[in-house]
Amino acid sequence: MNRRKRTEILIRGDRALSEAFRQEIEALYEVTTIEEAENGLAMVKMRETAQKSLFYLGEVLITEVKVQVGGKMGIGIIQGDEPEWAYDLAVIDAAYNANLIQTGKWNQQLLDEARKIETAKKQKHAQILKTKVNFDVMDT
Amino acid sequence: MGYVAVKGGTQAIEASIERLKFERLKGQEVLDVEAIKSGMRGLIDQVMSEASLYDVGLAAIAIKQAEGSAEEAVFLLRAFRSTLPRKHVTRVADSATAEVERRISASFKDVPGGQILGASTDYTQRLIDFGLLSETKADALNFLSNYRSEDSTSTDLGALPKVVDYLREEGLLVLFEDDDQEPDDVTKMNLEFPTSRSTRLQMLTRGQTGAVISLGYSALRTYGAAHPTVGELRIANIPLYIHHPLFEACDEGEDYYIGDIKVTEVESFITTEQKNQLGKTDIQFSIGYGVAFGQNETKAIAMSILDKALQMKDSPLPVSNEEFVLYSIDTVESTGFISHLKLPHYVTFQSKLDSARKKV
Repeated sequence: MNRRKRTEILIRGDRALSEAFRQEIEALYEVTTIEEAENGLAMVKMRETAQKSLFYLGEVLITEVKVQVGGKMGIGIIQGDEPEWAYDLAVIDAAYNANLIQTGKWNQQLLDEARKIETAKKQKHAQILKTKVNFDVMDT
Repeated sequence: MGYVAVKGGTQAIEASIERLKFERLKGQEVLDVEAIKSGMRGLIDQVMSEASLYDVGLAAIAIKQAEGSAEEAVFLLRAFRSTLPRKHVTRVADSATAEVERRISASFKDVPGGQILGASTDYTQRLIDFGLLSETKADALNFLSNYRSEDSTSTDLGALPKVVDYLREEGLLVLFEDDDQEPDDVTKMNLEFPTSRSTRLQMLTRGQTGAVISLGYSALRTYGAAHPTVGELRIANIPLYIHHPLFEACDEGEDYYIGDIKVTEVESFITTEQKNQLGKTDIQFSIGYGVAFGQNETKAIAMSILDKALQMKDSPLPVSNEEFVLYSIDTVESTGFISHLKLPHYVTFQSKLDSARKKV
C-alpha cells in the first residue's frame, strides 16, 4: 500500500488506529524526534476550469513532525492543529520507510478501516442524494 | 506652523482594551469555541475565505475574540497567518474528483448526475424560527439520531462530470489545454498592473464578501448588461496532497494526504455577440470562474462575473478596471485604510484650519 492511500486511511479513519500503530512501534523501537510538532501553512494550488490555468486558492493550517525510527526518517503532516496525530503519523511513516516487520501486519487493518470509511461514505452520499431533484414535466 | 511631538494615552489605551473585554463578557455568558465551530458555519466560511486561511478552529477563536465582527476576525487571522512558515505547496487541487455535497445548474435542467440541492437556505421561507429560542441539546441529538440512516448508494459523488465539459464536447466553448505556468502569489509580491490571471483569481477569492458581491452586482445591473447564467455551482470537499518534501519528483503514490477543504466553485456562462465575416451576428459563450473557501455561493457567483469583467480590457465598465476592483475588495487593505482615518491627523487638520482662518 503506497503512502497516499495509507495516509488517506489513517486521517479519514478512526483516530485510534494511528495511535495503536504508534504505540506498537514505541514499545519495540527507539523513536527520536528530529523536529517537534510545529504549525505551518500549506498553500493550495488549484487549476481553474475556465481556461485551465493555475492559481493559488489560499493557505491551510497544518501540523508537521519529523522523527527517526530504525535509522529512517518519517514525516507526519496533517491539516489543522494536531500535534499528537502528526507525531503518530510520523512514527508510522518512519516504520514503513524502515520496512519494519510490524508494517506487514498493518496492511490488513488498514484495508479493514478503508472498508469502514467506504461504508460511511456511501451512507453520507445516500443522505445527500435524497436532495436530488426529480423533475416532472408539466402538461401545458 | 511646526510639528509638535506629543506622548501619552498609554493608561487610557490599557483601560480601553479592558473596557473591550468588559463589553465581551458583561452578559456573563462565555461563548464556547466548540459551539461556534458547530453552529456558525456561515460566518466561519466567510472569515476563512476572506482571511485566505482555511482552519475552522482558528476562525472560531478569531470570531469569539472579535465578538462576531467578520472584519476584525479576518484581520486577526491574516495577522496570525503572517507568523507561520509556509512549509508546502499542495499538488494541484482537482475539483472534478472532489466529493460533491451540493450541485446545481441554472443552464440545464438535466445535467449528468442530476441537480443535487444539498444544504441550502435557498428553499426556506426566510421566516424567523422562534422555536430556536427553546432548542435544547436533547432536541439536537434526537434530530440527529432520526436523520442518520443506514441507506447506501452506488452513486459516487466524487465522480460527477462537470457541466462545462458538456458544452465543450458540443464545441460551443473554446477548448483550453492545461496551462502549467507557475502562478503568481500576492502574499509574496506587491500588486503590479496589468495583473496576471493567477493574481486576479487569488485576489478575488480572498476578497471581502460584500465588496465582491457589490461590484459583481454593479457589472450585472447598474453599469452593464452582462447577464451570466450559472452553468454549475458546486459545493465540494477537495482532498489535498503534498509531495514528499525531500523528493519532489517522486510519483503521486508517495504523496502525503493531509485532509479535505470545502469549497464553492462556479462556472458562469456569458454570451457575447460578434459579427462574422458575412455580417451576421454569432453568439459565443465564454466562462467566468469563481471559487471560495467554504460555502460562499453569492461571493463565488459574483467572482465569476468579475473574472469575466476584468478580462474585458477595453470595456468602459468600472469593474473592468483591475486597479479599482482589486484594491477595493481586499479586506485588510480597504478596512485598514478606512480605519486609519481614526488615527490622529491633528497637524494636517490644524494646517487646513489655519488656511481657512486666514481667508476669513
